[in-house]
Amino acid sequence: MYELLVDLGGWLTGPEQWSGSDGIGVRLLEHLQYSALATVVAAAIALPIGLLIGHTGRGAFLAINLSSFGRALPTVGLVVLVFLASGLSMTPVYVALVALAVPAIVTNTYAGMAAVDRDVKDAARGQGMRWHQVLFQVELPLALPLIMTGLRLALIQVVATATIAAYVSFGGLGRYVFDGLAQRDLVQVLGGAVLVAVLAVALDLLLAGAQRLLFRHRAPATA
Amino acid sequence: MTHMNRRTLLGGLLATASVPALAACGGGITSLEGEGNSLAGGGSSKDGVTIGTANFTENQILGYLYAAVLEAAGVKATVRPGLGTREILIPALKGGDIDLLPEYQGALLHYLDPKATVTEEGEMQNALAVALPKGLQILPYGMAEDSDAFAVTRETAKRYKLRSLADLAKHNGKLVIGAAPEVKKRTVGAVGLKDVYGVEFEEFKSLDSSGPLVKGALRKGDVDVANLFTTDTDIKAEGWVVLADPKNLVPGQHVVPLIADRKADSTVRRALAKLGAALTTEQLTELNRQVDKDKKDPEDVARTWAEQHGLAKRSS
Repeated sequence: MYELLVDLGGWLTGPEQWSGSDGIGVRLLEHLQYSALATVVAAAIALPIGLLIGHTGRGAFLAINLSSFGRALPTVGLVVLVFLASGLSMTPVYVALVALAVPAIVTNTYAGMAAVDRDVKDAARGQGMRWHQVLFQVELPLALPLIMTGLRLALIQVVATATIAAYVSFGGLGRYVFDGLAQRDLVQVLGGAVLVAVLAVALDLLLAGAQRLLFRHRAPATA
Repeated sequence: MTHMNRRTLLGGLLATASVPALAACGGGITSLEGEGNSLAGGGSSKDGVTIGTANFTENQILGYLYAAVLEAAGVKATVRPGLGTREILIPALKGGDIDLLPEYQGALLHYLDPKATVTEEGEMQNALAVALPKGLQILPYGMAEDSDAFAVTRETAKRYKLRSLADLAKHNGKLVIGAAPEVKKRTVGAVGLKDVYGVEFEEFKSLDSSGPLVKGALRKGDVDVANLFTTDTDIKAEGWVVLADPKNLVPGQHVVPLIADRKADSTVRRALAKLGAALTTEQLTELNRQVDKDKKDPEDVARTWAEQHGLAKRSS
């Protein structure tokens, strides 16, 4: 066990591991790229849906159950399915990652919107605010903490799952996990797993920091 | 997939690998001596033979084929299908729970001696005889073979004029290969193709072992060359071209009976030799297809084949 940790430390700190076209640096960037794109696409799909059903209070049951369907799909199965239909590209991976991220964002956005006090909304309307003013100037700011939680949750899931890009021959940190398993190289597997975990936690902390900044700025307006 | 299981069988454990050096006297040089090999002479199949098989389709079919030809020779044969991997089967064979096991030359040799480098069938047969633990021996190997193959589509073969692995070197830097991740660093893979044939690919795509990913990629042209197994039923169905291996890069994986000395008498040897001489890779592939794709019973499939080829009595 101790020996394994020493090997792992050596693997993670070896300069030759970090450079080159299959070095940790490149893999890290690839992983970030996959995760970021998937999360942005998922947000672009899920945020409007969540805001809409939260604002109108209609269609929540359908939208949440439909999006949760994505969460229930086995990711690897989805990748293989799309792969067989569309061929070897990043498309299957992005489809699977987006399907995974959408439910967390939809449900949390909806929950945030639903939690906004009815009286506050009524007061806003009573002051003559239009529906989009109520949505963007009253509901959205109040729902923002939960919406951010949804985004952070989605991002962590996506970062952890983006390892499957390696399953269909692409890069990212999953390369180490899949290659290590195939080559019976436990240190490489562990190294990849540790890097993925560190990346997920680091990104989450980053978003948490951004969120706090956002709220400090906004606090006087909403309080 | 059946072949994944064979792959895991390859993952030789060190436990048994250290034994053979001490037990080198166990087998003798087997294949060509046939019945004259009196070192194993004490064997008798009079009380019947128990056949064990690993947990994948092809191995079970082989087990039932062994049973069919032995029964025809008057030996009572019992099959215990799907017992697991080599880590279970070899000790069971030594311990007397089973007596006979359908094996594969290269994979068995790698299990017994991971450092072995021979790849030619005859040399492997000799190396196996040396490496086997005491009390076990291999019989002559059969024609049928389940080994690694590098295949291209018919169109690719025509366009680049590819017939053997050596032809790949004429298109260095242009072709993309798809294979399981481990193949990138394995001798029977990218490393050997470069060292032995001087082949360099434009890209190595890590997919799976003769599974849906690599076959899908080959079908759609996302990879030019794919690492498959010779008994993969899709090779024939899709009309893919398996590239010849004139320099013996890929170790032979002919089917070879592994048997306990105590049961290896002339009746058993003769019956299994007849089967080995009759069953081709193509036929074994077809039997695999009947079980995997048509969902037929492996025992029925084996028996029917043996009857059709005059190796078993027709059941009433």
